[in-house]
Amino acid sequence: MSLEIQNLHVRIEEREILHGVDLKVAKGETHALMGPNGSGKSTLANTIMGNPNYEVTEGKIVFNGEDMTEAAPDERARAGLFLAFQYPATIPGVSVANFLRLAVNARREEPMKVKDFGKYLRENVNLLKIDPSFVSRYLNEGFSGGEKKRAEILQLAMLKPEIAVLDETDSGLDIDALRIVSDGVNALSGPDMGSLIITHYTRILNYVKPDYVHIMLDGRIVREGGPELADQLEDQGYDLVREEVAAGDAG
Amino acid sequence: MPASAPSTSTAAPGEEHSPNAAGGAQADRGSAEHRTDGSPASTAATPPWLEELRAAALEAYEAEPVPNWRRSGFWTTSLRKLDTDALEPREREPVSELPPLAAEALRDQEVGALIVQSGASTVFTTLDPELTEQGVIVCPLDVAAERHPDLVREHYMQRLSADEGKFSAATAAFWTGGAFVHVPRNVKVEKPIQTVYLIEEPGTAQYAHTLAIVEEGAECSIREYCLGAPIDGQALHAGAFELYAHAGANVRLAHFQDWGPGEVYDISTKRVEIARDARVDWVPVHLGGRLTKQTLDIVTAEQGSDMRHTGLYFTEGEEHLDLFTTDRHEAGHTTGDTVWKGALTGNSRASYEGLIHIVPNAQESHTYLQTHQMLLSQKAKGDAIPSLIVETDSVSASHGGTVGELDEDQIFYMTSRGLPRSEAVRILVEGYFEEVVQRLDDEGLQELVRHRIVQKLAAAEDQVSEFIGERA
Repeated sequence: MSLEIQNLHVRIEEREILHGVDLKVAKGETHALMGPNGSGKSTLANTIMGNPNYEVTEGKIVFNGEDMTEAAPDERARAGLFLAFQYPATIPGVSVANFLRLAVNARREEPMKVKDFGKYLRENVNLLKIDPSFVSRYLNEGFSGGEKKRAEILQLAMLKPEIAVLDETDSGLDIDALRIVSDGVNALSGPDMGSLIITHYTRILNYVKPDYVHIMLDGRIVREGGPELADQLEDQGYDLVREEVAAGDAG
Repeated sequence: MPASAPSTSTAAPGEEHSPNAAGGAQADRGSAEHRTDGSPASTAATPPWLEELRAAALEAYEAEPVPNWRRSGFWTTSLRKLDTDALEPREREPVSELPPLAAEALRDQEVGALIVQSGASTVFTTLDPELTEQGVIVCPLDVAAERHPDLVREHYMQRLSADEGKFSAATAAFWTGGAFVHVPRNVKVEKPIQTVYLIEEPGTAQYAHTLAIVEEGAECSIREYCLGAPIDGQALHAGAFELYAHAGANVRLAHFQDWGPGEVYDISTKRVEIARDARVDWVPVHLGGRLTKQTLDIVTAEQGSDMRHTGLYFTEGEEHLDLFTTDRHEAGHTTGDTVWKGALTGNSRASYEGLIHIVPNAQESHTYLQTHQMLLSQKAKGDAIPSLIVETDSVSASHGGTVGELDEDQIFYMTSRGLPRSEAVRILVEGYFEEVVQRLDDEGLQELVRHRIVQKLAAAEDQVSEFIGERA
């Protein structure tokens, strides 16, 4: 059970952003993908989920042995992929609860009974310490940055994907919100879920411990290692990595 | 439609402007068990003052040409495809049960009082005894003109005019049946008051007039339905609606228009006047009609009057919709909030123009108007134009308008949660309209509107997916 990215080249509007990315995330593993702004992290996240604005020109996305490179986003989602968005869209007129019911039912043969869904929703709302009134609001409409991220984590909890990609879920959060989000991720992580946490900063990694760390620069993964790589990055910054990579290429 | 439609009058419409006996009689028969005044309706005699008004309107009608409404150089609403010579008022027989078309629309709603007019005739009425006890009057307008002449005369066409073009004149000259609502001072009516105009056969020219008066401090909910059978041919509904909300009154008003797939032309004027410290919450819903040309005006006429005006339209196929609304502030310290949302599929055309007009001396008026339009097919075309005339200072008036397509980021977001693209689109469109639907004060009516929106989307699914697919 895994997500495999093989030699992925991606472009947006004639410009190539990813120049051959390889990455494997298995169920039960927590990966961190780190990199400065503009390195291609969000492009990778969007491409994994099948955003139609991103064009794969070479390489593959394989999920559980199946080539998903051309699959529609909803197929990927039903297969067990999930993306927590950096900037989630606002869906006016559709409550959080209603949206969750539709999404949960989209991956079931028989829709969940209303009563059962209510119970399931309450369990997750409690697990994530979310105010119950939150779910009757329209999805992301008028939400603060922290509330949007919370709504993403609630969806993650309800949809129980095999592999979750969290695109900068930590950005723009104050320390309390960051803790709520990371507590949520920790509560959901386990043998049944693999995650790829995409982040610019190391601070979320103080709360969520990755098994593997990958560093992305200019559309390529340039360093891979264990959690110590994040610590090293914290000390040295991306510039040093960039210099090392440049020196390595030159040599 | 049955081939054996009731025989129709061959007289020119102008010659039969006395209320028809069938309408008047039925008004009582249908409500016999509820009525307390007991007097059987005779052939109602039109009072002389009304005769005079009708005669003047007839003159205006004859003098006026068939209009062509042109705006902004490119938008034209034309009646050239309407064969007016083939249309005439159709008298219909009274019925003992609510006609199916009306029954379906009212299915999940309470009924406090109901007047159903089909073609030219009042065919069915009911009045809850509770309302009678409260002194509420709900009856055909022709009956009211005879029985409550002072009440009718005091308000009749105070805000409407026979001089606003050929169809306003026609309606004023030729209306039959009609509806009259009067809620006395400080009476709070719990159950809704409903009026229904039906067009059930091709060739119908329906001239309709509703007059509603809500006295000081009274509260009620009024809903008007315009419903059409799936006729094969043309028909005309020329309508007038006027509501007077007196000081401190509170009225929830809804208009539900769905003329169905027939070739129904709807040319109507609706006006609402709100007096001191009164409030009207008005929700017009347009869900069908081959050609609709409507003027909807809401006047905050005295200090402290407040209005909310929230409308929607969804056009499809070959439909053409042309709406002009005015939020008119005639006194200071008045407030308004207007929101209109539309969606277009097929080859349809829809134009919404919303004007805020604040007259001199209406200082401290605060109002806002926003309009949105969503295109859902390649061939649909529309516009949404907010505009503003402010003739005084110390007011706040703002407006905004958007015409757009579905947002691809929203669709991606929803599909990334496992919803198929077509379902994502459906939910987005439903969600888009939900802001308006929520303002309807009845869950049954809300469901009816939602159901029709879903039906229209389902009917247009292929073109919508082709349209959004092309942009993806």
